[in-house]
Amino acid sequence: MNVEFKDIYVTLGYQEILHGISLTGRPGQMTGIVGANGCGKSTLIKSLFGIVPVKKGSILLDGTECRTMTKKELSAAVGYVSQEVPCIFDFSVREIVEMGLYARRHGRKDGKKLVQQAIEKLKIGHLSERSILTLSGGERKLAFLARTIAQGVDTIILDEPTNHLDIRHQLDIMNFLKKSGKTVIAVLHDLSLAAHYCDTIYLMRSGACLAHGTPEDTFTRHNIKTAFDVSGAASRNSEGVVEFKLNLD
Amino acid sequence: MRPPKETRPLLIGIMLAACLLAAVIMAISFGSSDLPAADVYGILKDKLFHNGTGIAAGTWTRPQFQIVWNIRLPRVLFGLVCGGGLSLCGAVMQSLVMNPIADPYILGISSGASAGAAWALLMPLPFFAGQYQVTVTAMIGALIASALVYFMAKAGGGGQVRPVTLLLSGTAVNAVMSAITSLLIYLAKSPESIAAVYNWQMGSIAAAQWTTLPLPLFCVALGFLIFGLSGRKLNMMMLGDEDALSMGLHVRRFRLIMFSTCSLVVASLVSVTGIIGFVGLIVPHIVRILAGTSNNKAVIPLSALLGGIFLVCADAAARGLFGRAEMPLGIITAFVGAPFFLYLMARKRDGGSSG
Repeated sequence: MNVEFKDIYVTLGYQEILHGISLTGRPGQMTGIVGANGCGKSTLIKSLFGIVPVKKGSILLDGTECRTMTKKELSAAVGYVSQEVPCIFDFSVREIVEMGLYARRHGRKDGKKLVQQAIEKLKIGHLSERSILTLSGGERKLAFLARTIAQGVDTIILDEPTNHLDIRHQLDIMNFLKKSGKTVIAVLHDLSLAAHYCDTIYLMRSGACLAHGTPEDTFTRHNIKTAFDVSGAASRNSEGVVEFKLNLD
Repeated sequence: MRPPKETRPLLIGIMLAACLLAAVIMAISFGSSDLPAADVYGILKDKLFHNGTGIAAGTWTRPQFQIVWNIRLPRVLFGLVCGGGLSLCGAVMQSLVMNPIADPYILGISSGASAGAAWALLMPLPFFAGQYQVTVTAMIGALIASALVYFMAKAGGGGQVRPVTLLLSGTAVNAVMSAITSLLIYLAKSPESIAAVYNWQMGSIAAAQWTTLPLPLFCVALGFLIFGLSGRKLNMMMLGDEDALSMGLHVRRFRLIMFSTCSLVVASLVSVTGIIGFVGLIVPHIVRILAGTSNNKAVIPLSALLGGIFLVCADAAARGLFGRAEMPLGIITAFVGAPFFLYLMARKRDGGSSG
């Protein structure tokens, strides 16, 4: 599904957080949103679900304005993995994944099958009866990702999916998303991961887009300096792989 | 061996249903004049299935029948309705505001009802007098308070009702309503009516009769139906607004429906009983521990069952433990509830699952 944010303005309280930002996500591609803390990355993706109200601009899903869709229609199209889910109460992984079926029409038997398939797709069968409270951050992330799979969406939006995860879980999640064939839009902090996995990157700075394009084009020395005030850049190495290198001094 | 996870809530449900029947018989036989449980069972069976021919046959006396059918049975049934309703609303509130220490009274219902009851007890209006007026004003007070809490939370959250702003505005409205009650007590001249307000606030189901039963019964049954059908949505709310919204739940509308239903149910109970604390707080927690899950599809019906059992037993204790003097029910539930609350906090510190 093509996702288009067009000239989005968001105001929270008296402060304008986003000043006319545009972004496009395409099927089978991974789009990264990168920028310093507080630049409006999370606000931008939350605006799609109506979690934060959009003051001006439009968000189109295959050309349809998403605010004209019902909550159920929207959730059948786009899945969301938030930064941190407050786990206060006791649910098993299977129960969490099952919640993804809410917006989906299905029979009783099909429901069980859909949940099982989602669990197997993320290889968390061994965790399925465990309580979410006893899982590590990485395992929880996989469970919530499985929920979006059960939701049956072909677009997934993620807010810092690799946060707090060990390197193995980070790569597991990124590889899964890369191979999923879905439209993936993710807020990322790790510039190396972003450079390696993303097809397109949007570099944000204080509520606006500083640059966008391929990792090589976006992560130039000048852009990185402007966005983060550090020295580094992405380049293609001898094997043709894009790598981000940070210069520590 | 522990039964498998999916069937565990069902087994517990069957066990609780059996306990419920036992508790009803036990509670009816228990009191200032003890009746053997077998007689209670016989009288109930006779009245229900043979239209009360037992008195004529001389199996038991008319006073015995009076005590069972007209005094204790309505009280026990009211205890079931009241305990079930408070526990249902407790489970719903905890899910909605994502806070394990929420109870049915966080919407300001208890303090609003107190203020309303104090009004009727201390400066009664001339038109319809007595217990009926107290019930009506308490109900009005409860509904006004809960509406106030909701709209203050909405205004405070910039048009959105968030769990935290809701808890805060609940606290604020509680303070204002308590102040109104205190003011009314301060202005009142007669010590008798002040004592009546205090008594009312301690909570009791002694006022239960066949005539006071229908409205609360209807409200709790309606609540049971609505909450029972909302199990999955309540589960989604427990993961927070953002997640619930992204899964397709119309969060704002759902929350308003749940709150309105809760305030109606609790107001219908509190206006008759006064404030019975801790039931709505602890019963859902016990159920979550017993059932081994927070899944509201199981927690909602089991809370109603266990809450009913708990209150019927607490009321039997209130009637029977201290000779002829009847203890206010609120005192019993708090005495059992407070230690349990401490236990819960200890569990939370150990990294337990319900805190």
